[in-house]
Amino acid sequence: MASIHCSSASLLRSVFTTTTTRASVLPPAFLVPAFNITQTSSFSSTTPAQARKDGNRNRGVSALRHTGIGRKQKLGVSLANLPKPVLDPQKRSTVDVDEDHGLWDFFYPSRELFPTPEESHAHGRAWTVPELRVKDWDDLHRLWWTCVKENNRSATAMLARQKAAARSGMYGDYEANARHEVVAETMKKIKFVLTERWYAWENARMSAMEDEEVDLYADVEKGEEAYLPGRAGDEPLALGTKADALTDSGKAIPPPDAAGTTREARL
Amino acid sequence: MAATAPFRVGMKEIYLPNFNIVLTRTPSQPPTSATFLTPLWFSKLDLRDYLYHAYDIRIGPSIRSYVQQSAIRQGQVKDPARPQYKRWHRPRATKRITVELERPFVWPKMPEDLGEWKPVENKMAGVEQQGMQERMGGASDAFAVEEGRRRGMREQARALLEGREKWRPGGK
Repeated sequence: MASIHCSSASLLRSVFTTTTTRASVLPPAFLVPAFNITQTSSFSSTTPAQARKDGNRNRGVSALRHTGIGRKQKLGVSLANLPKPVLDPQKRSTVDVDEDHGLWDFFYPSRELFPTPEESHAHGRAWTVPELRVKDWDDLHRLWWTCVKENNRSATAMLARQKAAARSGMYGDYEANARHEVVAETMKKIKFVLTERWYAWENARMSAMEDEEVDLYADVEKGEEAYLPGRAGDEPLALGTKADALTDSGKAIPPPDAAGTTREARL
Repeated sequence: MAATAPFRVGMKEIYLPNFNIVLTRTPSQPPTSATFLTPLWFSKLDLRDYLYHAYDIRIGPSIRSYVQQSAIRQGQVKDPARPQYKRWHRPRATKRITVELERPFVWPKMPEDLGEWKPVENKMAGVEQQGMQERMGGASDAFAVEEGRRRGMREQARALLEGREKWRPGGK
């Protein structure tokens, strides 16, 4: 090793001493092959560009990288013909709202954003129980739905007014609440009357079960008599008879017919 | 009407509803959409049936619902009589359903003149009430006597000292 090292050093010595000016321009002759090495295999594993020429027009177009459209791409519209947004709300076209639009029911008849305190205050009293007792189910049902829509209306107006009042304080809550209380009282009275009516029906049914002159199982539509006067006391109550079946509480008694349920609201 | 509905009607029979459906003003939305506040148990199908049967509103296929949680508030109840510190509760969440209308609807405009709702008087009353609460509250001794009343007392004392008025027990 030492001899080789010394021999190479002795070989190079003449080179280093002689090539003082030409060394920067040209490498020595024995180093030329090292500079002529050409890379035959690629360092990169990326597919070369030629392989991507597959006729896909959208190749390289990306919305995420903001590449824009490709050179060969053509859009359906030109930039010159694009519609421009109307930034001024005053210049926008107005929408014609139908007069019979259903959403108008969420507003008061004046069709304002919210009613004035005077308009809210202009209301009557609640319905009373004697007034409601003479009404049938259809009327009560209709009145209930009138109250429901009034509640929706007042709640919508209340929300709109409170949003507007956040900027500048406004009166009107007191009148709206007083109006709502009247509606709530009417609804309470309707439920009272219906409850009263149900108990009246139930009491009548219970007394009819005990009354031997009444046949709860009679089919009136077929001409059978439900009320048989003078039957009571004719014969003593015997087991197994029809009268016994009437008083037998274990038998299924037909429930009170849900009269007036023809108008039903389905959700 | 149920037989003519252009969609399959639901089976929940509600004869006497006791909930409110509130239409909310959403200026940022197009006129073909409407947003409602509904009960939490309300579904999109419920609202479609409700609007169709009660209001004769037909809505498009797009309907979105969203439950917004409320921020926690002090106190155990909604509007406590006095502030309840160290007691916190979260008010009930609100459900919003946005429907696509078949016919566009634009809300009425904000009234130009709000004089009917007395905003000036409302603000004056608020200031007066706040001052009254400060004078009558627990920290009333920390506040100085009102300037006008102070001036009147000074004038009254001066009149008594100069002999222009004579003090009598029990007032005049």
